Amino acid sequence: MYTGIIADNIGNQLINGIISWSFLQFLIFFISVFGFVLTSAVILILAERKVLGWIQDRLGPMHTGPWGLLQTVADVGKLLIKEDVHASLADKSLFLLAPSVFLAPVIGAFAVIAFSPYLQLPGIALATGIVYYVAMSSIDIVSVVMSGWSSNNKYSLIGGLRGAAQMISYELPLVLSLVGVVMLTSVLSNTGVGTISTQQIIAYQSSSLWPGKGIPFWDFIFQGFTPWAWFFLVQPLLVIIYYICGLAETNRSPFDLPEAESELVAGYLTEYSGMRWAMFYLGEYGNMLIVSAIAVTLFMGGWSGPGVAFLSAPGMAFGWQLLGNLLGLAYFIVKVYFLCFIFIWVRSTLPRLRADQLMQFAWLILIPVTLGNIVITALIFLVLNSLGLSNLFFLIVLGILNFIMLGGFIFIVSRATVATTRHAQAPAILAQRRAEAAQLPERAGIAGGQK
Amino acid sequence: MVTNQGREPITEETEGAEWFKTQEMLLNMGPQHPSTHGVLRLVLTLEGETVVDCTPVIGYLHRGIEKILENRPIMGGIRYMDNADYLSPMLNEIAYAGAVEQLMGIEPPRRAQYIRLLVGEMQRMASHLVAIGTYGLDLGAFTPVLWCFRDREGILSLFEALGGSRFNVNYMRVGGVLHDFPKGWLKECEAFLDQEEKNMAELETLLTGNEIFDARTQGVGYIDPQQATAYGLTGPIARASGVNWDLRANRPYMAYREVPVKVQVRQEGDCFARYRVRMQEIWESIRLCRVAIDSMPGGPICTRTPIALRPPRGETYFAIEGSKGELGIYFISDGSEYPWRAKIRGPSFVNLQIVPEILRGHKVSDVIAILGSTDLVLGEVDR
Repeated sequence: MYTGIIADNIGNQLINGIISWSFLQFLIFFISVFGFVLTSAVILILAERKVLGWIQDRLGPMHTGPWGLLQTVADVGKLLIKEDVHASLADKSLFLLAPSVFLAPVIGAFAVIAFSPYLQLPGIALATGIVYYVAMSSIDIVSVVMSGWSSNNKYSLIGGLRGAAQMISYELPLVLSLVGVVMLTSVLSNTGVGTISTQQIIAYQSSSLWPGKGIPFWDFIFQGFTPWAWFFLVQPLLVIIYYICGLAETNRSPFDLPEAESELVAGYLTEYSGMRWAMFYLGEYGNMLIVSAIAVTLFMGGWSGPGVAFLSAPGMAFGWQLLGNLLGLAYFIVKVYFLCFIFIWVRSTLPRLRADQLMQFAWLILIPVTLGNIVITALIFLVLNSLGLSNLFFLIVLGILNFIMLGGFIFIVSRATVATTRHAQAPAILAQRRAEAAQLPERAGIAGGQK
Repeated sequence: MVTNQGREPITEETEGAEWFKTQEMLLNMGPQHPSTHGVLRLVLTLEGETVVDCTPVIGYLHRGIEKILENRPIMGGIRYMDNADYLSPMLNEIAYAGAVEQLMGIEPPRRAQYIRLLVGEMQRMASHLVAIGTYGLDLGAFTPVLWCFRDREGILSLFEALGGSRFNVNYMRVGGVLHDFPKGWLKECEAFLDQEEKNMAELETLLTGNEIFDARTQGVGYIDPQQATAYGLTGPIARASGVNWDLRANRPYMAYREVPVKVQVRQEGDCFARYRVRMQEIWESIRLCRVAIDSMPGGPICTRTPIALRPPRGETYFAIEGSKGELGIYFISDGSEYPWRAKIRGPSFVNLQIVPEILRGHKVSDVIAILGSTDLVLGEVDR
């Protein structure tokens, strides 16, 4: 009896849901996310090869298509028709499942990204924002361990274990650096309740302070676009740490130890080929995208840019709204690609860390710094709040202090490297001093004599 | 998935208290591995990621070059010397030609000696560029290798203009060199050196002083001077350990008797010191090339030698400072056209012997860092 009513309700809700505008929004969002991740990965792979080529004084791919533009397309075509090879002693089920486990959460994580004012999940679906992203990005670790273990290859095993250790370690400072943003929103909300929703974090980054409020031209540009209120100005240290952790999370250089080519052949990817390998590759670039997208959302105002909020405000005509949304999408993609470009730039510049140095960096430097930053942010707020000063004052003080801390952080990191290398060298220098005391034996004359 | 290799199996006796005993892992690095610089095979015993023991296995590139040399007329061996250390063929040829000249008592003309110095130093630059570039690649830095190969390409193009071939130049002859410079070659060479100075300054900014590079190389793979002399190390490895030994300065040969060489020595004895010594030697080679171009004497480029060289009975050993260390050729001649015995003292082969010694206790990542810093060329190790 009840089941019938419940089924009826569900049916009604489903029908109401499917024909609703929300569902249409969801459908458009879903398709565009899928398209965005897959095409972006293809574009990024080409961009990476081109940018690396320019930095390295060469041309990059030039022969496939005009100016090498079809290179990735050709690569994907090749990978699709390759035989699906796996080692005979591999743990087959885990081996075959691992690439999907790697790729799926990457695409899933995009659910919380707001691409433009309209192009996002409808309703309160975004409310879990940051927590959802963190949860999704941790699933990758399982896949890395799965592939490393199931390949039945020692290089894969070492790579997989390295990957697990690295990703777990860098997950912590990454989350802690996001906590700073949540704290900022809780201050700005004036109610003391912060938000973890990416949508609302973007909203908090558009200040109501802009020059010439009420003048249509300034309104058009600065409504919803206030770069001085973006969080990267208030918490620059957190941006840097988040970005470093992002590099480690995506296994990109200089943290590409799990797939270190010169040491572990290809790490956990060693035994993979064809489309399964491509799925890992796709996942890596998707990871790069999601890390950049979250950074853009949390620290760089998301889709906001000149004209977006003005054009897509409720009450505007459909055409203007569409234009505003397209503009927002364009700003968002430009910002994301800019951060991805920095990923590529870093890759071309830096050597790789060693595993123990990597761990040291995470546990001894990044985690204390992020924890300290949380404490300092809270202390400043408490002090200034008890003095009765406004939020604006708090943001300015916090920003200045954070820039000073950023300088200190860079200083500490460089000093720490020098100190650890000195420490490593100490026995060598000692032995060398001992050796210097003894004279080197003169070598006996060479037979035959030299002319 | 890791099998219990070579360890006692877990039986009922060992199971109880020591069930949590960890096992050492045997990792076979090479001969097909991206960064064993050719076909070196290292059998590593690992405790976690720490190297407990290491056994290098060589011979995958053995072509019997010494035996080939014994079966060729002594003049024809020069071409085969190109393939011994395939990253510095010119220096191999100089060593071979010098050994035959010493055996026969020939003194090459002064111009030939200066040409040998010039091309030899350029070859040393090329070899060190490859060493530094691939070292960067071993450590995960992607850009240096391409910059270095770009610069090396300039040297190889100059060699092509000189000897007709980029790599197996076959340019040295007993008693001199094959051709004089083509028209305008020295101008091109100077232009290259100017460009190379700029490129080197750029390369220094990329690697030297990079914190990660420092952390990866400093204090890693320490060799003390006693150890270096005891193992017979020569070249940049020995000089990075504070052994002030450079055949160009200590036992000068050919044009080095007139052109003094500033020996690059560093005291630290670690990977970073070896890298620095190579960088400094490139700068020094650029300077020597300029000196050679400026003071290039005129005159013949080759002494007249009989078509069929018949060295007198006897034996000789002649060594030059190759790019990796003391590159020596030992001949025993029975008076015929063929050398009765030809032996190459390859510096890479001698330098390889210290690798297992210094690898112990380091991490797997350091294996690559140390191996790269020794700059082995397997063509010379296996011959």
